[in-house]
Amino acid sequence: MKNSFDEKILDEAKDWIKANQKVVLATVIQTWGSSPRQVGSRMIVNEKGDFSGSVSGGCVESAVVSECLSLIKDNKPCKKIEFKVSNESAWEVGLACGGEIAVYIEQIH
Amino acid sequence: MKIKTLEEILKKKSSKTEFAILTNLENGDSEIYLPGTSPKGEFSKYADEIENFFKSKKNGVIENSEIFVETYIKPIKVIIVGAVHIAQYLVDFAKSLNFEISIIDPRGYFASEQRFPDIKVINKWPKEAFEEIETNSSTALIALTHDPKIDDPALQYALKNKFYYIGALGSKKTHENRCQRLSEAGFTNNEINSIHGPIGIKLGGKSAPEIALSIIAQLVSETYKK
Repeated sequence: MKNSFDEKILDEAKDWIKANQKVVLATVIQTWGSSPRQVGSRMIVNEKGDFSGSVSGGCVESAVVSECLSLIKDNKPCKKIEFKVSNESAWEVGLACGGEIAVYIEQIH
Repeated sequence: MKIKTLEEILKKKSSKTEFAILTNLENGDSEIYLPGTSPKGEFSKYADEIENFFKSKKNGVIENSEIFVETYIKPIKVIIVGAVHIAQYLVDFAKSLNFEISIIDPRGYFASEQRFPDIKVINKWPKEAFEEIETNSSTALIALTHDPKIDDPALQYALKNKFYYIGALGSKKTHENRCQRLSEAGFTNNEINSIHGPIGIKLGGKSAPEIALSIIAQLVSETYKK
């Protein structure tokens, strides 16, 4: 059996929009190997770079935020981003857990 | 995603309707899909795949396509008998875990709205209260009064209707007596043994929030076993 563990990110998105913020929605659409968050996990980002929710265990959130900011700046509707395993060289964005994920970002307009 | 679509999603969620969000990853178009209907426009050729995702309650990208399907299912219903102190903490946990809680307690001074804001509290005896709640084998019961005249009718109802999780608060001795009464009422050993009593996983804590945590942990664990 499965419960609908709903993290209320979309509810929060609505609140942000009401407060006249630009909102980009990021959703995990595919995972390979061991990835921390399941498909359907969500995060929202506004034009100031504030974010709520998660698409990984903290591994790629910063990269997702900057991609979302570019989306707003370039006024593009959506984009698919893939993140692969990070290598040993520190500070590179990637998944330390060894998994791969695809994240879809889209503006709510 | 359009703001209109977002608003529609939130409306469907609050009315506990099951639906799916379909997104075309190439152009960003998204649409709400209701089970049993045909998906519209560009999504129509994936009708079978969308239906399959829905049936298996899965999220994902349809193979060889750029269509993402995300299904929203109804939250699991949890009925608590006894609007007691532990129930107040259970309500807090259930909120973040997205269980849908109803509380039954015939004792008016417990079942007050002030103690349980935003929760469906039914101030009736279990037999009458169950007439107001739709239940099935995906419903859970948490009996907290350890008073046979309140808990027992609820436990009997839950056993007869094959709830997937039934737990009852009380000491080992209280539970032994409870099992004896259920046996005299004609329930089989298998049925009686399916009740989690004393309720909760062993954490060692004795305070109300600690007991609530041990109960909710057991409930989540049982949810994934079935």
